[in-house]
Amino acid sequence: MDEVTDEALLVAYANGDARAARTLTDRLAPRVLAHAVRLLGDRAEAEDVTQEALIRLWRLAPDWRQGEAKVTTWLYRVTANLCTDRHRKAGRQVPLEAARDPPDPAPGAVAAMAGAERAAALEAALQVLPERQREAVVLRHIEGLSNPEIAEIMDIGVEAVESLTARGKRKLASLLLPRRDELGLDDD
Amino acid sequence: MIENRDRDDGLEAFFDDARAHKARPDSALKARLLEDALAHQPAPAAVAPARRGRLGSAIALLGGWPALTGLATATVAGVWIGVAQPTAVGDLAFGTLSGGEDYSGFMPGYGLEFGDG
Repeated sequence: MDEVTDEALLVAYANGDARAARTLTDRLAPRVLAHAVRLLGDRAEAEDVTQEALIRLWRLAPDWRQGEAKVTTWLYRVTANLCTDRHRKAGRQVPLEAARDPPDPAPGAVAAMAGAERAAALEAALQVLPERQREAVVLRHIEGLSNPEIAEIMDIGVEAVESLTARGKRKLASLLLPRRDELGLDDD
Repeated sequence: MIENRDRDDGLEAFFDDARAHKARPDSALKARLLEDALAHQPAPAAVAPARRGRLGSAIALLGGWPALTGLATATVAGVWIGVAQPTAVGDLAFGTLSGGEDYSGFMPGYGLEFGDG
């Protein structure tokens, strides 16, 4: 079923095909979870968001109109909205210090886990960005989506996407680049 | 226009690491998500019975195809009897209509020769 599109699988799912349910779950859950973790910075909350986003997709499946949107586009949007709701409910404010001093995922194993540490540093720095900048940067530079796709997901224009990603990256650079040596990145 | 991601401003290594170390669903979460998917899945659509046309309705009224076969056989037999009119049928018809009781000519040897009783 690897060559079948998400949209066709969703129609098969709505028609009661259990294999489609399994394939779609295997295919979509990792993307939703990874995106939610990056937007929330919290694994447990991201798992809840993943579950909620997919349940919404299953409920929508019988009424899914093919050709109007990609399943992943819809899911990225719903995931971001659910993350925003959680931020609002928690009234969360991430202090700037969080980005300068990210939690060490593996104390004592810094050298061996330089890559994981950089990933953690980026994740912490992302939490400092305003929500929309964070979402745009993640979709563009980690998920690798095109600006028009991001514009559709965020329901804004392409120029606004470019502006958000540019400002977001400037902020990330100011937080992370001074730590390049510390994080095992040499300029040589 | 130069795309932002094509210009390495020192952050690409961080983005690469983020992609390499992304969160993945563990087996417990996968099981929970699949359970949700199956629980919310609509049941397979039942096959709707075929609609009957006028001919189908008429055939059903007569008792279906088996009854129609019998009816067709009887019709063909009736037409054949009418067209071919075997001698025995003529004798029987004559005997019946004329009030006579001599059935001896019709199926001889079957004990219908009442007059000889």
